[in-house]
Amino acid sequence: MTVLHPPAPATRPPAIALGSARLLAGTRGDHPVSHAEHTAIHGHPRRLDHSALVADLERVRLLGRGGAGFPVAVKLAGTPSGPRTEIVVNGSEGEPASFKDRTLMRLAPHLVLDGAAVVAGALRTRRVQLLVHDADAVEALEAARAERPDADLFSIVRTGADHGFVSGEIRAVTRALSGGPAVPPGRRVLPAVSGVDGRPTFASNAETFAQIALVALLGTTAYAGVGSPVEPGTTLVTVFGEVPRAGVLEVPTGLPVAGLLGDGPGPVLVGGYHGAWTTCADLGDLRLIRADLKAAGLPLGAGVLVRLPADTCPLGEVARVTRWLAGESAGQCGPCHFGLPALAEVVEAIATGREGAAGVDRALRLTGLLPGRGACAHPDGSAAFVASALRTLPDELEAHRHGGCGRPVRGVLPVPAR
Amino acid sequence: MHVEIDWTRCDGHGLCARLAPEMIELAEDGFPIVRRGQVPDAAVVHLKRAATACPQLALRLVKD
Repeated sequence: MTVLHPPAPATRPPAIALGSARLLAGTRGDHPVSHAEHTAIHGHPRRLDHSALVADLERVRLLGRGGAGFPVAVKLAGTPSGPRTEIVVNGSEGEPASFKDRTLMRLAPHLVLDGAAVVAGALRTRRVQLLVHDADAVEALEAARAERPDADLFSIVRTGADHGFVSGEIRAVTRALSGGPAVPPGRRVLPAVSGVDGRPTFASNAETFAQIALVALLGTTAYAGVGSPVEPGTTLVTVFGEVPRAGVLEVPTGLPVAGLLGDGPGPVLVGGYHGAWTTCADLGDLRLIRADLKAAGLPLGAGVLVRLPADTCPLGEVARVTRWLAGESAGQCGPCHFGLPALAEVVEAIATGREGAAGVDRALRLTGLLPGRGACAHPDGSAAFVASALRTLPDELEAHRHGGCGRPVRGVLPVPAR
Repeated sequence: MHVEIDWTRCDGHGLCARLAPEMIELAEDGFPIVRRGQVPDAAVVHLKRAATACPQLALRLVKD
């Protein structure tokens, strides 16, 4: 497989609101919203106690925006309030194809901070930490904090360069903040019970906090005034490849997903590197609703939507990402530590025409051995990524059985250098 | 009752699959696969033995 020097990934994709701009209100493409502008646009959030905030979040059916899509009201109801409780804003965005959290924190930092302040008020605690990797986002949050009367509420923690995909997992995050290694623990412990330093912890993704701020600012009726009744409001997605509009898009939920991806012939990736591949035909009239996408086997994850352009080799793209995923294993759990490199090997062999039908069978067998056999969802997500690619690309597999498709691997799917 | 494996501890020694074959088998990668669903009463004593025998203490029987 010919790997071209990959094009430098756009570190600042444009931020575009399709329909009503809420999260992106006032950003005008690439303008960071100051505190004065923020309060002029949004006003001040209502103060809500624990049970009132839980009730509001339940009413708007807010789902976590980090990837798992867990109901935020359930998580908040399960977190005890009090001064020992920790709040963690996870802005580490370890998914290389996702840019929505860093873009949001850079352009609308006050919404994220407002959301954290609302949760802190409801849980009657002053322990708030924001975990951020992107340098521009850190700078924006620091500047935003300095503008606010409640500046001393927030600690901004910058994660190191070694901070990878798996270390963005929420239990890995709370462990790192407790001075431990940034890897998920082997035993299933809920952060709400024992998180940072063993204290009860409410941890969620950066966009989730901004959505909580919007609920507190708008009220539930206005919040639910746009989007699908099943999952009201707007959501951020990172869209790129051969698509009508590439960038970080704020869209109302319930839009047809195919509309965001256009109708080109290339295969489509939904959800990112723990997501799944499909074709335009199979996408059908699926709407941007987390529950619907999950039921269709295409979980939205961190909100990544890609259509590969026709001039890149899809199997080569899949092979590059699979190799990267293998390197991102924390190496703690045998089935992942040994299984992912073995899988990457076979996928590379298929992409370069060294392995035919037997290789595909072996790859599918290896993906079957990964799910449910690790401390976190990395083996499960990686297996879904590869298995769905092999199912979606029969014509490509056929072409590669006879030496290759003749197209270079352009590196449309970004893979960070190690 | 269900079986939980701490995958960060498991080194694939394989004793569990020998001691409780009705619930655990070894996959081709040498690591265990736990059969889904409820543990039949007859297997509980075998699993308890497997949990005690595991050199890594990676296996646990958890009440539902």
